[in-house]
Amino acid sequence: MELLAQANFWLEPAGSPALYTKLIFALLVGFGVIGLLMVAPPAARRPVVAFATFLAGLYWVMLYLWPVPIAREPGQLPRDGVESVGFFLKDINSDVVSFTVILTSFMLGLGIYSLMRIHVGRIRRHHEDAFFSWVLIVSLLLMVGFGYADWSSRLGERSALLELRDNWGFVNYARDFLFEGLLQQMDAAMFSIIAFFIMSAAYRAFRVRSVEATILLATALIVILSLMGAVAFEWDEGVARMANGNPLLLNLQLTEISQWLRNTFQTSSLRGIAFGVGIGALAMGLRIWLSLERTGGSA
Amino acid sequence: MNYDLLRLTAGAVVTIGLYTVLFRENKFYRFCEHMFLGLASGWTMVALWTETLQTNWWEKMIGTDRAPGAWAYALLLPIGLMAYLVFSKKHNWISRIPIGIILGLWSGQQIQVWFNTYGPQISASMKPILPTTWESFIVPSATGLSPEATAAIRQNVYPSQAITNFLFVLTLLCVLSYFLFSFDVKNRVLKNATTLGRYLLMIGFGAIFGSTVMMRFTLLIDRMYFLWWEWLREAVFNIR
Amino acid sequence: MSIGERLQSIPRWGVYLMLILVTSVPLFLPIRVPNKPVESTIDLYAALMELPTDKPVLIASDWTKSTRGESQGQFNSIMRILMRRGINVVFYSTGDPQAPRVYQDSMRVLNEERAVAGEPPYERWNNWVSVGFFAGSEAATNGIANDLRGAFRGRKDFAPGRGLIDVFESPVMRGITKVQDFPVLLVITGSKTSNITVERVSGKTPLAFAVTGVMTPETQVFYQSKQIVGFAGGLKGLYDLETLMEVGINTDNPNTVKSEKYGSIPGFPGQKNDGQGTRYYPTLHFAMALMILMVVLGNVGLLLTKSKGRR
Repeated sequence: MELLAQANFWLEPAGSPALYTKLIFALLVGFGVIGLLMVAPPAARRPVVAFATFLAGLYWVMLYLWPVPIAREPGQLPRDGVESVGFFLKDINSDVVSFTVILTSFMLGLGIYSLMRIHVGRIRRHHEDAFFSWVLIVSLLLMVGFGYADWSSRLGERSALLELRDNWGFVNYARDFLFEGLLQQMDAAMFSIIAFFIMSAAYRAFRVRSVEATILLATALIVILSLMGAVAFEWDEGVARMANGNPLLLNLQLTEISQWLRNTFQTSSLRGIAFGVGIGALAMGLRIWLSLERTGGSA
Repeated sequence: MNYDLLRLTAGAVVTIGLYTVLFRENKFYRFCEHMFLGLASGWTMVALWTETLQTNWWEKMIGTDRAPGAWAYALLLPIGLMAYLVFSKKHNWISRIPIGIILGLWSGQQIQVWFNTYGPQISASMKPILPTTWESFIVPSATGLSPEATAAIRQNVYPSQAITNFLFVLTLLCVLSYFLFSFDVKNRVLKNATTLGRYLLMIGFGAIFGSTVMMRFTLLIDRMYFLWWEWLREAVFNIR
Repeated sequence: MSIGERLQSIPRWGVYLMLILVTSVPLFLPIRVPNKPVESTIDLYAALMELPTDKPVLIASDWTKSTRGESQGQFNSIMRILMRRGINVVFYSTGDPQAPRVYQDSMRVLNEERAVAGEPPYERWNNWVSVGFFAGSEAATNGIANDLRGAFRGRKDFAPGRGLIDVFESPVMRGITKVQDFPVLLVITGSKTSNITVERVSGKTPLAFAVTGVMTPETQVFYQSKQIVGFAGGLKGLYDLETLMEVGINTDNPNTVKSEKYGSIPGFPGQKNDGQGTRYYPTLHFAMALMILMVVLGNVGLLLTKSKGRR
């Protein structure tokens, strides 16, 4: 159960003066901490960042390693200190997830803010590409405006009606035009452009110059052929006719060969890559958690 | 004008506009590119609020007629705003705090992630490499057999399976040795294993390449279908 | 210029033009390609057909139209199977802020298809519910795995005539308290959220995936170690699904897919099973053939140039 839902200190009725008082208090504390950090001595910077990082990671490490309740009855109380900690870890799980999701959302906004900053700057400086910056900002504002208006229009009693296009109004059509008509089509086009580059690169650079390149090319060829159902079908039919029921010869079918290569060599080599990458990620994770990683530039 | 025709025509125009970059960078491409960025960013802003922040943060914080307000959620605003100090020359170190929190939350999960992901894979890689029967070289077909006979077949390891399993384990160990022994090894066995691992690695890369080719071509085929069929044929010329 | 050098010097615009031709012309040809579904997709289809109909399915729909070529078809096929079996669905997304809008629009289109076929619509709130987007895939998926009610707390969806209401009040979510209450968690994705799901949810509830081609080799690794019950990979996986929906497994249909693992599992003969897979798969052959041809030409050119140099 959400810890914040249990204790009354953390909750106040909606719209009550107590809630607004505590909200203002929380904001003052938060911004006060920022003020303190702004005047903090340089020597305190690294420990502050390291502490925040460690505390954040500690929760998940403890949740994984500490005994936590599996089948807990509603209202059940912990018997001792170990269970108290276990209950606490489990209770605050949804809050930690909420906090992470909310914090990540705020930080996604940072990218958008950065984008706006760059393009507004270009417009103010009368940059030669200011026209394109206008295009970007106007597109953004149109999408925000109509996107939010479309969502708002669905808040009331008409929400079910708006599942059918016949009941749409101007804002719904406008949102659909911007999202489905423009954004999604451009998204698809951007991803599909890579096909041209792959083709061109494969033609110009894919050469059998070494053992590694030969193996890579041969495997890619077998995979591509096995993905071509018509080729696989004809090959398999030909082998079936030749084999005449002999189970050993039937293994020469393309689908059998590709499956064998996939299960024997492909899966194992990718698993080896995954193990190697996984060990690296685990080591990197521990280094970040313990602030042993120097990412360049000091705090 | 028919709305579908308008929508599809707009989609076709911007698709072709983006494709013009294949010949050379041009103003029309840049126009479409900037529009794409603007629309994507705008939608991200809408979705972040309507899908996440409005219910997950705002309503939890100020409460509704059905639930009280949890005022502590207000603390997340100053923490989130710390990230925006990255633009300050003097105080940009403060932006590392929310980044550190996010990284800490990620890294704390890695122990659990590692065991969840690789534990079953390590078990699945422990394959028997010696046959338990020589009745048949390959696995007999179980079609038309009784469940007992099928179970009897499945519990044996036939020589073909043993060879396959051996190749599987060999590939895995050689590829791992290539990754783990990235320093100069003097031992001949290890050196050969590392070299063999490098060759076997190429099989995995070849498979990735083949699958990537399939995916990218499929996306292109989809765009061609949109242009030729959905837009030109059905919408413009009304041929269904 | 020697022949070898000419073979290696086809201009870029020529290569692009050939690619456009081979990906466009076959779309207008009525080609049907025979197909032998792979084991992973057979397992996925069997899992979907053996789901209990009295429990909802949890779907992480993490794709957008950027991978429409594969993901849209996979989504449509999977939803057709679930809709025809009358199984309710809970949607969420962690991969992309655009994803919830995309799956909502796709459900609208599928309902229009059902209306044309004279079938009742799959109603939002009563048959499917959208929990929405979660920023931060790792944390959100961990939350869903450890405390589903906590992770979904406060999430709302549009109830007919009532506006935004808590998702747990929906008939779809009745009896759901933890992720283990779902008989399967399906991930339809164009990104790595399938990996993130295995890392955090593995072992709690059966997992099944529909992934793009580029993720297929990695997903095969999970399938081989039985961390997922089945998956459809790329356009081939999609075409396999459509084939299975048409002919079933071990049925009386002469083209049925044979499998020693299962008994008879029906398809949906007489209903709309063809989709993007059937439309695009023949064209893919031509594109792949062009790829092979270009690589062969380049290497033949290299060989000729080398042998000329030696002489």
